[in-house]
Amino acid sequence: MCDITAVLTVDLLAQVLDWLHDSRDLKSCRLVSRAFLQAERMHRRAIRALRLGPLPVLLRRYVGSLQSLDLSSCPSLDDSALSLSIPCPNNLRSVSLSRATGVTWRGLEVLASVCPRIEAIDISHCVGFGDREAAAVAKACWLKELRIDKCLNVTDVGLAKVAVGCSRLEKLGIKWCFEISDIGIDLLVKKCLELRELDISYLKVGNESLRSIASLSKLEDLALVGCEYIDDEGLYFLSNGNCSLQSIDISRCENVTSVGLTTLAEGQQRLRKINAGNCSPVLTSTFVSKLCTLGDTLIILKLDKLQLLASALEIVGKNCRNLLEIGLSKCNGVNDEGISWLVEGCTHLSTIDLTCCLLVTDKSLLSIATCCRGVKCLRLESCVLISEKGLDQIASCCTDLKEIDLTDCNVNDNALKCLSRCSELLVLKVGLCSGVSDIGLSFIGTNCSKLLELDLYRCTAITDDGLAAISNGCKRLKKLNLCYCNQISDTGLAHLQLEELSDLELRGMVRITSSGITAMAMGCRSLTQLDLKRCYSIDDAGMWALAQYTENLRQLTISYCTVTGLGLCHILGSLRCLQDVKMVHLSWVSIEGFELALRASCGKLKKVKLLGKLQDVLSSELLQTLQSRGCRIRWVNKPLVFKG
Amino acid sequence: MDQKQRSSFTYPPRNNSPQESFNPNYDYPQFNSQNRTESPYTPSQFFNSQAREWDPHALLSNLSFLEQKIHQMQNIVREMIRTNEGQNCNISELTAQRQLLTTDLTSTIIQLISTAGSFLPTIRTSLLSGNAPIPQLGSSIPSASSAPSPSAYQPNPSPDYEELTKGWGENVVESAGQIQIEDLDVKEGEDVGQDGDTLPIGSYEVLQLEKEEILAPHTHFCTICGKGFKRDANLRMHMRGHGDEYKSPAALAKPAREPGSQPIPVKRYSCPFVGCKRNKEHKNFQPLKTLLCVKNHYKRSHCEKSYTCSRCNTKKFSVLADLKTHEKHCGRDKWLCSCGTTFSRKDKLFGHVALFQGHTPALPSDEVKGKNEEINDKDDSGGVGYNDGDEYLDMKGGYFSPMVNFDSFSFEGLDEFSRTTFDPTENSFSFLRSGSPDFARKGPGN
Repeated sequence: MCDITAVLTVDLLAQVLDWLHDSRDLKSCRLVSRAFLQAERMHRRAIRALRLGPLPVLLRRYVGSLQSLDLSSCPSLDDSALSLSIPCPNNLRSVSLSRATGVTWRGLEVLASVCPRIEAIDISHCVGFGDREAAAVAKACWLKELRIDKCLNVTDVGLAKVAVGCSRLEKLGIKWCFEISDIGIDLLVKKCLELRELDISYLKVGNESLRSIASLSKLEDLALVGCEYIDDEGLYFLSNGNCSLQSIDISRCENVTSVGLTTLAEGQQRLRKINAGNCSPVLTSTFVSKLCTLGDTLIILKLDKLQLLASALEIVGKNCRNLLEIGLSKCNGVNDEGISWLVEGCTHLSTIDLTCCLLVTDKSLLSIATCCRGVKCLRLESCVLISEKGLDQIASCCTDLKEIDLTDCNVNDNALKCLSRCSELLVLKVGLCSGVSDIGLSFIGTNCSKLLELDLYRCTAITDDGLAAISNGCKRLKKLNLCYCNQISDTGLAHLQLEELSDLELRGMVRITSSGITAMAMGCRSLTQLDLKRCYSIDDAGMWALAQYTENLRQLTISYCTVTGLGLCHILGSLRCLQDVKMVHLSWVSIEGFELALRASCGKLKKVKLLGKLQDVLSSELLQTLQSRGCRIRWVNKPLVFKG
Repeated sequence: MDQKQRSSFTYPPRNNSPQESFNPNYDYPQFNSQNRTESPYTPSQFFNSQAREWDPHALLSNLSFLEQKIHQMQNIVREMIRTNEGQNCNISELTAQRQLLTTDLTSTIIQLISTAGSFLPTIRTSLLSGNAPIPQLGSSIPSASSAPSPSAYQPNPSPDYEELTKGWGENVVESAGQIQIEDLDVKEGEDVGQDGDTLPIGSYEVLQLEKEEILAPHTHFCTICGKGFKRDANLRMHMRGHGDEYKSPAALAKPAREPGSQPIPVKRYSCPFVGCKRNKEHKNFQPLKTLLCVKNHYKRSHCEKSYTCSRCNTKKFSVLADLKTHEKHCGRDKWLCSCGTTFSRKDKLFGHVALFQGHTPALPSDEVKGKNEEINDKDDSGGVGYNDGDEYLDMKGGYFSPMVNFDSFSFEGLDEFSRTTFDPTENSFSFLRSGSPDFARKGPGN
């Protein structure tokens, strides 16, 4: 057998590998020969681990070249496991520990000390983290990028530690760190002069913070989502500051009015992205006319839930000719006239969000189809006046359409027939469209083979045949929502043989049983999220099948299933990636069953949803252990109601 | 020379009661300065002893003497009033009485000033020079014939003294019939004592006090009991306890400046510590504004911090007031910097951190953690460098050197370390954990 490396050198192979993005393709490549494996080994820079088990082998294979390590999906990651997961010596630049609730500040301190050149750390959503963890991270003095979003206990002190320790920071996310105040932000700004991106969304900071932030000369991207204490005065500071912002997100800032937005647009002439959705609703024409001065630089504009007049859209259309994305979700004043003016000017638009623009009709779709042929994403949820006529226009003109949301639009099979012409379609959402049936799905199945995501929520007309058509045609589906499609039975489910399917929602499908689940599990081995809530007929057999076949299952909802303690214990004990389980109203499981099951999964689980009544009967020792290992328990007090 | 000048004063013997040196039936016209000169106790002795050690007994006897003298003068004035009413006096006799009274009042005042001034180290030096004309005053008494104002007796009076005596003379002349002369005198005397420092040169005058003077605890002394005060106002309040005569509004009022006198020049102070920025020799000399500033500055900058906070046992102060201020919020300073400085307010700490390179706010439980850590480190892993002291050092150094820790780092140690923490739970669930991946147990070969 001839050695391929004689023809194709390793570095040439590595260049080929540059073009492979899909993990499956890479896996196939690795399996060709030792030479290919060697090439892949030298080429790989990043690892995202799903389980801790095989990690040491992988690390030994990739030691040296590895720069990025993502451990965010690893269950039962604690300090000792973390320290073993870091190769030594290493060249790591980036580590993600998002949601790694089992890790403590000790582990982070070790991480900071053994990765001397680490530049990016993500510890977002580790809700228990506070100042001590922030202080540990702050020891990584070369850090350029840090995300501590939703580390709920981080205060100004923790932020100050980071600010002093990591003065080279360029990107910082402190979203949802509610304890941080103006004082902390002020210090951050004084110490980290290199900041380019800052996310302080949902913080309870006021205008003083913006006054400080405005002095950051390198700041380009600022997110202020839901900062309720910020008002027009703060935006005034920003507009007169040293920073030259390119992107600002001030959505949900209730106290920001169009006066503030006007000042901002005046002062920051390099703005490329503006998200002003859900601010104080009345938008004056002065702001829109100021937007025009930004003119060609502006590429993204989101004005969700603002009261817009058609004339405002006309001004935008005439001036912002390079606009790529516009968000007009829930803007009551948007009508066909406004849309036609808008698209006549902004011909480069690729994303148009018209969610809940109730006045939009087929005329709008017609003008979009004629003017913006390059449109890729169209969100039309609840635009009840549109019909297959308009969609036909879109489908014939916008051949590059990749994503369309028609949730609750009352479209029918004809509409799907039209859309099936868009062979590039990746995302299709037709939830709540009771007119969609197997016929429509058969068109999609035949033509849209690239589809990644399909939402058929409450499309009650769909039967097993429709599902079969989809399963046969759209082999690359990653996400499928079949909630409440209650005509589908085990037969239909058995058709689901989608190797890449990772996210499946089967909520409220009362006719499916464990045998259907078993068949599905055998075909969809990559499942990571599965929702079986209110699938009343699913019992332990289904759990055994899931435990056996869907090894990567991470998130599972089995509320209302007829699972017993044995099945629960088995599935929680055997699924090695399981992290999030919702198990409310499992009437067949005894208290001992819950105890054993939770003990079996102890250390892996990060989130558990349980019936509130169990709070008192489960042993406190167990609950404490769960919590000390970073598991959050949500107690639910909903009455037991069977819906069919 | 001082000795000679002062010899004209009569002071009571230190150990004798005032009555011995004072004759109740003392006949004023027979008053003879020679008697005083013959007194075995010379003022110089008295002053010298005062300079060395403060003697309350001497002070008390002095004051009693003065008190009796004032009573005597009161008698004379009453006598004068009586003779005036009787219309049987001749003019020359009355004039002679007035002159004698004037002379006597003058000497009383000077004695009073000396008594008070001897306790004021800062004032004493200038007072001594101001006392130069006194012997002439004393010696001129017998021959005094016509001059109503004592200034006439002074060939070379210093401006201050002239001012004093002039004002005093007028007062006496105008208020000869009034009772409360002595109150006025006391007030005037104090005033002079304070003014004795001033010499108007330039925009402000730089004064430099000696170390001992700065460190003297008090600057205002009760002329009756000798108790010292830091503020004249407090002294005036204290004086009320010594009799009704001190309770008059005039006595209690703030000593007023003479309306006609020249404006008081601005005074500034220099720190005696050579090399200090507050010393007048320093090229960027920054004068101190008040005497209190001098005192506090000198104590804070050049003295040992002898007051230790009894609560925290760490903070030391050289000014008692600083300690008291600290004690008010000691223990409530929850905002701690890595340099050890504490703050009662978060914004102050953050301002401090912003100002100094490498300083960070310390975590609230650092101390507690440090203690626990020590024990843990001994028990579990010597290899892992968890040490809070290091943290401070690193921060102070401005950067963190990971390579050091990296080399000495031991995975085994950490594993052991963190497992010990979780041991109880580990054991209780071991029976169920076989199905789940136990990474630590299976090891890297898995």
